[in-house]
Amino acid sequence: MAEIPLVAEVRDEREQGSAASRRLRAAGRVPGVLYGHGTDPVALSIDARALRAGLSSSAGEHALFQLEVGGARHLAIPRSLQRHPVRRTVSHVDFQVVGRDEVVSADVPVHLVGEATAVSRAGGAVEQELTSLSVKARPADLPDVIEVDLSGLEIGTTIRVGDVALPAGVETEVDPDLPVVVTVAQRGTAAAQASEEAEGGAAGEPGGEPAAGS
Amino acid sequence: MLMPRKVKHRKQHRGRLTGAAKGGESIDFGDFGIQALEPGWLTARQIEAARIAMTRYIRRGGKVWIRVFPHKPVTQKPAETRMGSGKGNPERWVAVVRPGKILFELAGVDETLARGAMERAIQKLPIKARFVVRPGVGAEPEVLV
Repeated sequence: MAEIPLVAEVRDEREQGSAASRRLRAAGRVPGVLYGHGTDPVALSIDARALRAGLSSSAGEHALFQLEVGGARHLAIPRSLQRHPVRRTVSHVDFQVVGRDEVVSADVPVHLVGEATAVSRAGGAVEQELTSLSVKARPADLPDVIEVDLSGLEIGTTIRVGDVALPAGVETEVDPDLPVVVTVAQRGTAAAQASEEAEGGAAGEPGGEPAAGS
Repeated sequence: MLMPRKVKHRKQHRGRLTGAAKGGESIDFGDFGIQALEPGWLTARQIEAARIAMTRYIRRGGKVWIRVFPHKPVTQKPAETRMGSGKGNPERWVAVVRPGKILFELAGVDETLARGAMERAIQKLPIKARFVVRPGVGAEPEVLV
């Protein structure tokens, strides 16, 4: 993953607080904070255009930044982005200092690739249960997206976290049984009727015995 | 129609509708959504009308999530009644909506069908709202700064 250079200015006490942050945003800057590695948190402000360019890379919201703060350089990842609820613009950013050989965690988006032709032909649907996966890796190894291949899926099959192929050096602590993609039969289709009949048959068997005995 | 099963107090004050949504402002379940752009009260009837408009347009397939619930009772005095004698009777249930709130979500259909369905649902609502897509679905990821 490429390191994106970004210049940040330290905010003094007069430039902190909600009113000062509003003034910063109006001036085209985004307030933020830098922390991590046992250092005291530093209040920052970043040029909104430069931050936008950095977050527009293929890595998206977990891009790796080479942050220049008051002459010192820090390798940092955006840990949290606060967005305006309607405009969706970034109103505050948290940067966490990371080391090149340090394992960090990040939420990586899960993208579905390929087409589940067997499912669509049978009138079923593919439901994505997990849209992002929490992974641990060294900053350079963090993938931009995790791709899940849908081709070869059939109705009734489920892709779980344990089935997802992660790139080398990337691990996840999420429960491997957690479903990522499930396939379901749509109501009224032949596949749905078949699965309903199978469920009905299985449910009817135990109920029949006590009635016969009484 | 949606309504609470049980409430602690039958009548409520009207409250204020200032500011933006404090939660429920991102698409968390489906791929597409309807986002409120204005504050307002959505009645249980309007929520149901929007849901029906959406599901009828989709015809089959797809999954709909309703992200708002009408928790708030609204009272009304009978017509031609003299003022006084206390607060009116509960007449309907409303959901309090502030700008940014995701009202409905949809998954399992393509974007064209979802947009058509949700634009029809928006027509049933008393506030301005827009069709939104979850970042990473179809369009480019969300990077606005």
